[in-house]
Amino acid sequence: MALRTSAANTHKARRSLLWRLHIDAPLLLGLLALMAFSLLVVYSAGGESLALVERQVIRFGAGLVIMLLLAQVAPRTLKEWAPLFFVVGIGFLLAVLFFGESSKGAQRWIDVGVRFQPSEIMKLAVPIMVAAYLADKALPPSFKHLVISLALVIAPTVLIMIQPDLGTSLLIAASGFFVIFFAGLRWRYILGALGIGMILAPIMWYFTMEEYQKGRVLTFLNPESDPLGSGYHIIQSQIAIGSGGIYGKGWLNGTQSQLEFLPERHTDFIFAVLGEEFGLIGIIILLALYLFVIWRGLYISLQGQDSFSRLLGAALTLTFFVYLFVNIGMVSGLLPVVGLPLPLISYGGTSIVTLMASFGILMSIQTHRRLHSA
Amino acid sequence: MLKRREAIKDVGRETSMFFVRCVIALGIVIGLMIFLLVREFKLQVVDHKKYQTQSENNRIRVQPIAPVRGLIYDQTGQLLAQNRSIFALEIVPEQVDNMQDTVSRLREMFDITDEQVDKFLEQVKFRPKFNSYAIKTNLNEEEVAVFSANQHFFPGVSVEARLERYYPPGASLVHVLGRMGAITQEDLIRMDEKDLAENKEVGTTRQRYAATGKMGKLGLERNYEDRLHGEVGSEKVETDVRGRIVRVLERQEPQAGDDLHLYLHLGLQRKITELMQEKGVRGAVVAVEPSTGGVLAMVSQPAYDPNIFTGGISNKDYQKLLTPERPLYNRAVQGTYPPASTIKPHLAFLGLKEGVITPNTRIADPGWFSLPNNDHRYRDWKAWGHGATVDVMQAIVESCDTFFYDLSVRIGINRIYEGMTQFGFGQKTGIDIVEEKVGIMPSRTWKKSARGEPWYNGDTVNIGIGQGFWTVTPLQLANATAVLANDGIRFNLQLVKEFAQGNRFEANTPVMAYHQIDTGDGSWLDLVKDSMKKVTEPPRGTARSAFDDAEYIAAGKTGTAQVKSIAQDEEYDATKIAEKFHDNALFIGYAPFEQPKIALAVMMENAGGGGSNAAPLARQIMDYYLLEALQLNQKGEQANHEESNDGAAN
Repeated sequence: MALRTSAANTHKARRSLLWRLHIDAPLLLGLLALMAFSLLVVYSAGGESLALVERQVIRFGAGLVIMLLLAQVAPRTLKEWAPLFFVVGIGFLLAVLFFGESSKGAQRWIDVGVRFQPSEIMKLAVPIMVAAYLADKALPPSFKHLVISLALVIAPTVLIMIQPDLGTSLLIAASGFFVIFFAGLRWRYILGALGIGMILAPIMWYFTMEEYQKGRVLTFLNPESDPLGSGYHIIQSQIAIGSGGIYGKGWLNGTQSQLEFLPERHTDFIFAVLGEEFGLIGIIILLALYLFVIWRGLYISLQGQDSFSRLLGAALTLTFFVYLFVNIGMVSGLLPVVGLPLPLISYGGTSIVTLMASFGILMSIQTHRRLHSA
Repeated sequence: MLKRREAIKDVGRETSMFFVRCVIALGIVIGLMIFLLVREFKLQVVDHKKYQTQSENNRIRVQPIAPVRGLIYDQTGQLLAQNRSIFALEIVPEQVDNMQDTVSRLREMFDITDEQVDKFLEQVKFRPKFNSYAIKTNLNEEEVAVFSANQHFFPGVSVEARLERYYPPGASLVHVLGRMGAITQEDLIRMDEKDLAENKEVGTTRQRYAATGKMGKLGLERNYEDRLHGEVGSEKVETDVRGRIVRVLERQEPQAGDDLHLYLHLGLQRKITELMQEKGVRGAVVAVEPSTGGVLAMVSQPAYDPNIFTGGISNKDYQKLLTPERPLYNRAVQGTYPPASTIKPHLAFLGLKEGVITPNTRIADPGWFSLPNNDHRYRDWKAWGHGATVDVMQAIVESCDTFFYDLSVRIGINRIYEGMTQFGFGQKTGIDIVEEKVGIMPSRTWKKSARGEPWYNGDTVNIGIGQGFWTVTPLQLANATAVLANDGIRFNLQLVKEFAQGNRFEANTPVMAYHQIDTGDGSWLDLVKDSMKKVTEPPRGTARSAFDDAEYIAAGKTGTAQVKSIAQDEEYDATKIAEKFHDNALFIGYAPFEQPKIALAVMMENAGGGGSNAAPLARQIMDYYLLEALQLNQKGEQANHEESNDGAAN
């Protein structure tokens, strides 16, 4: 069956091989292009350290392996395992809350043979669970189904928010919400939620946000108020991007990054290095690559065979966009500082593995279609 | 099961709705990406200039470069002060893994005191870790070699060379050249005040010193700080966020300070120092060139080696300098002593000039003097007196006290004050050393304000023999002697003859070039000078034995200053009183008598009589200068050659 599908879609034997491996070539090309770009910028931002590049290559390799493995898992299987996956994830989150290890003032890690962040699992488990739940329901979802799916999103979000890890909880909330959105959430609910959000925002500000989170927002609104403290990151990254101009200062020639004025330049603020060294042209290329990946993700989702595949694929794709939008917005001074990496470009982080896993799911959706759906 | 579900679900509607949602999502994604691009366009195109400037300001720093300090030479071209590389053992903290271990291993190899370690660790604690800090300074060549051989055991440790002031003559010139010291907060404030006084923008001088760590604290180093220092250079450098220099972009070379060429004769200075050390005396000798006011030698003993201050003096070494002999004290410039009989020639000149006495005025000297209606006897040093017909010449030659008691009362304090001021007493000599003291030229006004008492006639009597309230510096005494030698012309004493910037020489022009005393037809001065000549000659001169067989004719005057007042009937007996109350021995003189080349003042603390102690020293100094130094000078090139050979042999 798979063979015939491939024959219908392609004219090259090579592609059929990729198809059998459950790989979507355009998506893979887009990802590889982003990875290549990442290595280039990491090499420069890391002070021309080959060791750093090497570790990034290893991480990308691991990500590609995970992607390949998940691509072999049929969406049906994923859907069947979704409840267990979700419950175990919630269990880990609770465990973190009570027995977790702290680092940098947040309790995010747990050690079960391997040390890992359960919140990373939830980045996948939440959209999978919500998609699995809604896939069998009549869509757009009824009010009851909506409330249940919202509960599935909010429970892990709150657990992660109190670790506290604002960035990840935001992403998880977004991924869950996107599933509901693609399931046909009525516009009046969306508008209503926005209205409630506006009312809730000041209440959250006073009752639930941590001091450092408030500080970030305040600094974002007026970075010059604290140029050497928390405003420093934002000011320096804007100087880096702005001084890059249209063509950039050239690879390895960004003074802001090479002379270390830019903090966290190979991790969360790598976009500023890219903007400084490759200029507006480099940024346009990066955004074009991202757009291509997103387009491909939505395209694959549209061709999804069942509701589960479609909802999950589209939600994962949009979550990927949230990543890059929040990061670029933060580094460019449009959004408050939230600790999110630039997807597939920033050095390190477990996020590469999680992201590649979600692309593996997209590839699985693409390559496990039955003939009639082609 | 699947079929039943599909019956409930409206798959067609779901699919089309999902398509719409995807299109909307893609639209939102593209819209937000355009929003991001607009933002980047604003940063990178619209505000590019602004951010580019900020980025340049971030990385580019202009840093000052210290100029090389001017050198100091004597009149024969000998180097008195130079800049020498000194080697210091320095550590860059961020390159050292285990500081404790490194320091203790270094201490096994080198002699590093606890004080030095503490000072070093203190610096490391509070300053940037990428800079280099000295743990031991003044490494000798052997230590440098030892470290070089073991350098690979000490990552982050290195031997660094720095320019520091070095004074080849050492202790013999410290009271002329002075010394350098670290720039303090007070110095910085003084710089600002100077800027204000000179109508410059405040901070101008600080800028000049931006790269300089030390400045002149005493002597010539202090007085000519402005000229010696030079002009600061600058370097435009690219630095990283911690201020570490990445590369040099531009460089403006500093301009070295002016060199100083002195009137001073190093050979003479050394000779005097040696002679005084041989005799083991404390005191000062100042020798000047009468025709210019240039200081040929200025010795204050005891002294100390200024080079021990280089690289920071240890507390222990500094304590050693705080002895009762006070080596830190510059006696030539700051010491104020009673001039004793050395000012008798000047008083005699004043008496003749004021018409109080004539060359033929004679007095009878019973060995004492008393004021009318007062039975207090002012005693002559010669208990039985100098005879019944003492004239002014005999009074100078034999240093008759009674004659001068009488003379000073006749002149009166007001005219003495004015007359002696003309010789520079109670005034700055104008020497180019700011620490100069002026001593006391007493007057009625001075006593009223300083002591709150009126002037008594008895005070005037003591003035006649240079005692009482009158104090002078050895510098003033030498200058007043030069005035006699120079027919009444008083120069501002100067150590520096000219400044040099490369090959450009510039004469040192003192503020007030000279002052001419009214000497009438010259006969008063001639009489005084003839008398001073007889002082060094038989049969009666007080310095006749000191100048026995001299190859030139010298003029002079001895002086013996009482340090402790002696009761009316008490005899001065050196064996019975503490050394510090022994008489000070003094001598002034010049030679050759015609066309004088050297005028000097010798002041020896607690050394006894001037004729027997100070005069022989003066003779040796004059012998050296007139018979050796000047002869050598005339030989020119050859002289330099021999001196340098001497230096090498030593």
